[in-house]
Amino acid sequence: MRKLLLVLLVVLFATMMFSETIKVLAWDDAHSQSWNTLKNDFEKATGIKVDLELIPSGSMLQKTALNVTENRANYDLVAIDEGNVAKFGDLLLPYSQWPEGNVFPKVGTNDIPAAIFAAAEWGGQLVGIPNNGNMYIWMTREDLINNEEYQAEFFDQFGYELQVPQTLDQLMNMCVFFEPKGIYGFAPFTATSEGATCEAVMFFESFGTSVLEMVDGKYQVSLDREKALQAIMFYKELMDYSPQGALSMGHGERIGAFSDGLVFSMFQWPGIVPSHENVDESMVAGQIVYTAPPAGPFARTAVRGCWIFGIPRASTKQAAAAEFAYWVNNYEVGLKLAEEGMTPVRTDLLNELSGEKPWYTGMAEAGQFAVSRPNRSVHYPELSEVIKTNWLGAVTERMTAEEAVDNIIEDLNELLESYE
Amino acid sequence: MSNSTNIKRLPLRKERGPFLYFILPAALIVGVVLVFPIIYGFGLSFFNWPQVDDGTRAFINFGNYLELFKDNEFWHSLSLQLGFIFIAIPIELIIGFFVAILFNHDFPLSGFLRTLLLLPVFILPILSGLTWKLMLQPRYGAITYLLGLFGMEFPQGILSDQSLAYIAVIIQDIWRMWPFMFMILYAGITSLPKDIMEAAEIDGAGFIKKTFAITLPMLRGTITTAILLRTIDALRIFSEVFVMTGGGPGNGTMLFSLYIHKQAFEFGKLGYASAMAVILIVISLFFAFGLVRKNMDIDTM
Amino acid sequence: MMKMKNRKKIIKWVVFISALIIVLVELFPIWIIISNGFKRDLDIRNSNPFDFQFSLRSYELVFQKSDFVPSIRNSLIVGLSSTIISLIFGSMASYGIARFRFKGRKGLSYSFLVSRMVPQIALSVPIFILFDRLSMTDTHISLILAYTSFNLPYIIWLLLPFFSSVSPSFEEAALVDGCNKKQVFWKIFLPLTAPGLVVAAIFGFIMAWNEYIYALILTGNATKTAPIAVNGFMGQYAPKWGQLAASGTIILIPIIIFTLTLQKYIIKGLTAGGVKG
Repeated sequence: MRKLLLVLLVVLFATMMFSETIKVLAWDDAHSQSWNTLKNDFEKATGIKVDLELIPSGSMLQKTALNVTENRANYDLVAIDEGNVAKFGDLLLPYSQWPEGNVFPKVGTNDIPAAIFAAAEWGGQLVGIPNNGNMYIWMTREDLINNEEYQAEFFDQFGYELQVPQTLDQLMNMCVFFEPKGIYGFAPFTATSEGATCEAVMFFESFGTSVLEMVDGKYQVSLDREKALQAIMFYKELMDYSPQGALSMGHGERIGAFSDGLVFSMFQWPGIVPSHENVDESMVAGQIVYTAPPAGPFARTAVRGCWIFGIPRASTKQAAAAEFAYWVNNYEVGLKLAEEGMTPVRTDLLNELSGEKPWYTGMAEAGQFAVSRPNRSVHYPELSEVIKTNWLGAVTERMTAEEAVDNIIEDLNELLESYE
Repeated sequence: MSNSTNIKRLPLRKERGPFLYFILPAALIVGVVLVFPIIYGFGLSFFNWPQVDDGTRAFINFGNYLELFKDNEFWHSLSLQLGFIFIAIPIELIIGFFVAILFNHDFPLSGFLRTLLLLPVFILPILSGLTWKLMLQPRYGAITYLLGLFGMEFPQGILSDQSLAYIAVIIQDIWRMWPFMFMILYAGITSLPKDIMEAAEIDGAGFIKKTFAITLPMLRGTITTAILLRTIDALRIFSEVFVMTGGGPGNGTMLFSLYIHKQAFEFGKLGYASAMAVILIVISLFFAFGLVRKNMDIDTM
Repeated sequence: MMKMKNRKKIIKWVVFISALIIVLVELFPIWIIISNGFKRDLDIRNSNPFDFQFSLRSYELVFQKSDFVPSIRNSLIVGLSSTIISLIFGSMASYGIARFRFKGRKGLSYSFLVSRMVPQIALSVPIFILFDRLSMTDTHISLILAYTSFNLPYIIWLLLPFFSSVSPSFEEAALVDGCNKKQVFWKIFLPLTAPGLVVAAIFGFIMAWNEYIYALILTGNATKTAPIAVNGFMGQYAPKWGQLAASGTIILIPIIIFTLTLQKYIIKGLTAGGVKG
């Protein structure tokens, strides 16, 4: 009996010695709530307790900036939007220095495509690991494409089969085709927020030009005037086939328009897709096919918008924090997490689960074409502001396309100079 | 029997003991909690202070203020904000006042209805902003629909037009906060000495005369307080407008606090934003002085 | 005589109907919020707010969220505490300013006012630093202190006109009777100012209950308050309308209870002494 008690005491002591608590800060939605639901599994497997704090995503930057500094980190693992990686990059432990996991293996670029991993890039190295696979995917109404009448009509009119648009020109044809039937071809993103910059980048890149390019560690303006104008003009044409309120469509309006069946085709972020597949929220659930976005004349592009996990250098529990990050991105764990609402980033998970969640196919496809916004700079918000304001000005006709492009080039140059 | 309305001068009380007893707790709490933050916030306005240190944090004297002076968006924000104040608050006051007079009668359910009226003030501000956004949606908004019944069509949506969005933001505030004015004025009216009101009625004073010659002057302090408190908060309005329009379209509804938020948390320019906060305090003080000087006896010794 | 009575009756009913109409018009958006909590998101996108299929799904989802109910508890603790403290110390300070002439009276009053004029955004960073250094983040007390510091000046200035307009004759009479100044305040003066106190308490509570910025900065998992939990339904991209409406409606209830309680009992209790001018 005494021996048993002794053994128990030793075990208890040992677990107390080795049981740590890590504090994790992340944004609040179904994706991260899945970690909350299953974190007991993690505790059982590793003995590490997790204090997971989920706050509104709009407030993440503020709270992270306050709590993570050079000398002090009140959190051991933080989720960082890729647009903010530049701000915190120097404060984070480089991925190469993350320890190998004890229970869960370190994740590598054979698990997550390099183009997605690049979201964690700063100063020439990776400073974290992506924790959600977020890039533009394209939604098209399957029922409309499979409609035999439409198929016959379309073939007559255009000479090729009605299908998911593979190129922007095909998209335009479909817009023209569906308009007389009261179905809109496209829903733009025209709210005054970061989403507009994403649209601008997607179309500029599709037409063959980048707004800013990294040269010797610094950004330089590289926007080609001609191609930029082409991109804007094309977008404006697409907007002619957009539903009411197209001049200021944000996420809410776009989700509503698609889910109410008005629009047959548009881009969407994977995190939002569950809403379109929910019968309480959408009239078109089960009727959507997901692919990479259609290609422009120059390239096929899917704008990337990932969050990464970063470990502050000032954290005292780095190994434990890394363990949790590996757990979130682990294959077997991912199968369970995905059921609870997580959006996977691992390619093998995406492929495995695409049966139940058809949009994973779209994500796997789009991942190959991921492009990033020029957000590897601490001044990114101001740069984005210039792009977004002028892009929106042009497509909502508050200014001419020429003015917009000239402004972008001029103002960006001015800003970049002022940073010297 | 002393007439309360004539008492403005009190006999001087010089005992410090009791006075300290009353003032000290409040002064201590506010002082201790806020002295460091206020000095910090004020001091920060003289620095270039990016939120995440990139090596450029430095003392720049009045640099932020000079830059503000040249910043067109700052002036635009300020003008939007002042326009907002001068339109919304008087309307809230007038509506609140007349409804307060209305409720100053005895009728069934008056207590219950008064509480119901306060619901817009109780609602979480973001919920108010979001609901108005919902009601103004071009496709399915309830208000868009109702306006359509009167022949006013908005195919692109009210919130996608700069001027209309500004009006919408003002109307949202009027809807939300006139019950606030109502509440204060109602408390004021019901605190008025009943004997004077009765005397006036017996004298045969009509409603209008009674209201303007007697009620209003007696409510001077209350009205001033209501305007003062409302102005201080209206000058800092943020959440409702932020979720309703985000400052847009363009910068059509970029009220002052939204611009501060943009500079502080989107661009991370904390020093610049602090300078703006200081200017906001100065403007608020300006309003406060103006209001209080004539209408409350704080200034008299 | 009959004519007078009838006239009064007619006025009573006219007033009642007018008040009812005003309330109904004013509450239309509130109806939308409350009803949205009982609609599927699909129905929320319907321009007729009265046409929908009743559904409790949003409420289900709201209560399933693990941080929601605890957040209400936290808000109650912080809200009630800060309101009570602010009301007590605030009314004392307001009385001191209204009734005592002293040097620096003007300066002190305006100092309180200025502290209330600073935008919370500007104070959020230093307040965080203050409490973080003292290791007081994620505690109730830090938020209570922050809210009290925010509410005190407001309540002081709110009560000033009410306090100034009370005739000092009662206090003088009590002093003559042998009460000291403190007793005069608590037993004689305060009961005379019930309507003002009720307004101050209500607004103080609303402010603490709905406040977001200080709560975001100063709380962690353990002390998360209701506004943060409700904001959590904002989603990364687009709001979850149904759950937002449901949670927003739920957090209205404590305020309504608080207000109704105050109006019923406090006014009755405090005015037992009579509010004759």
